[in-house]
Amino acid sequence: MQRDVAGECVLVPIRRTLTEANSIYVLNETGAALWNRIDGRRTAQEIITDFCGEYEVAVDQLAKDFTSLLDDLLSIRAVEEMTR
Amino acid sequence: MMTQDTLTPLPERFPYACQWEVTCRCNLRCVMCYTDCFNRPVAIRQELSTAEILRIMDELAEAGTLELCLTGGEPLSRPDFFNLYEHAISCGFLVTVFSNGTLITEAHADRFAALLPHRIEISLHAVTRETFEDITLGQGSYDRCLQAIRFLLDRQIPLVLKSTAMTLNHSEILAVKRYVESLGTVKFKLGEELRPELDGGTGPYQYALSEQDLVELNQQDADLQRDACRRDSVEPPPCRSGMHRFHIDAYGQLQLCSGNRRQSYDLRTGSFHTGFFEALPTFACDWKAPEEPALIRLATHHA
Repeated sequence: MQRDVAGECVLVPIRRTLTEANSIYVLNETGAALWNRIDGRRTAQEIITDFCGEYEVAVDQLAKDFTSLLDDLLSIRAVEEMTR
Repeated sequence: MMTQDTLTPLPERFPYACQWEVTCRCNLRCVMCYTDCFNRPVAIRQELSTAEILRIMDELAEAGTLELCLTGGEPLSRPDFFNLYEHAISCGFLVTVFSNGTLITEAHADRFAALLPHRIEISLHAVTRETFEDITLGQGSYDRCLQAIRFLLDRQIPLVLKSTAMTLNHSEILAVKRYVESLGTVKFKLGEELRPELDGGTGPYQYALSEQDLVELNQQDADLQRDACRRDSVEPPPCRSGMHRFHIDAYGQLQLCSGNRRQSYDLRTGSFHTGFFEALPTFACDWKAPEEPALIRLATHHA
């Protein structure tokens, strides 16, 4: 569940595992902007391309950061990997 | 890009945490209870309906509230308790439930396990049936409370057990603490404060321990002694209720905190946003820091 708490993007697991019973996850500005682009339709590459078209960022660095974010999101089951 | 558990500092005034007394109804009649005076059908009929609670909950979620404590009375004595609880979880609140435990069945424990709370806090007044039920006035409550604790522990639900030290149970407090410690992951909290009843009655105070009894109790346990020293040695900071924390009573009245209900804002007729940001700042509290005197102020002169 995504919450906006005082301007911060917070992910609160609803169906939590026991180890994350007391956990919330806070996304930084870039993380929140990427999270909001994950729509279940576009690929990671398409999201990166879209993001780079809007912000002045180095593609390589963004791709690395986005992969790391996706790993984190997968680990807390906030997203699921899909095959095409 | 993603960290666990770290929010940047909140704005000076932000509705981060809510304690919500969703009912004064209770299946027990604990002798020191401050809400039991409203545990009567006439008063219960005036409590917020399910729809009203869900609407206000949505307003809290919209405002950014993250921590929500559902208390009572006994919150599980509301027939709609799990509607409220599951809605709160689905809104993304970190939900804490204060309960006497005696209404928690195995099926309820399964529902808590399916949608985990932040924690459940249960009042464990004593380790003997006789003392426990002298306090709750509920026959069978001791066994049901211990059974609920087992149901929750079996499902590894985050649990806190707490006692209020009183004349009736002070000889068992250390045994309660040892019992809780034997459970491993469960935390123990000791309360010493008794409050007047919500209708102004002073009945609970007849069970208050003397200063000497409290000192002697704390001296018997290193943890309790440390906590007592910490409390005594530090000047309490000015009260900040209403800045990040607030209270809602069973009738939808928004207040600074559970212990200060002198002024209220009616959430049945007004919005939470207006109540929190416009009404609460005007409410009085004896423990707030005094206002800084304004060095210059606009004055209107009427001839």
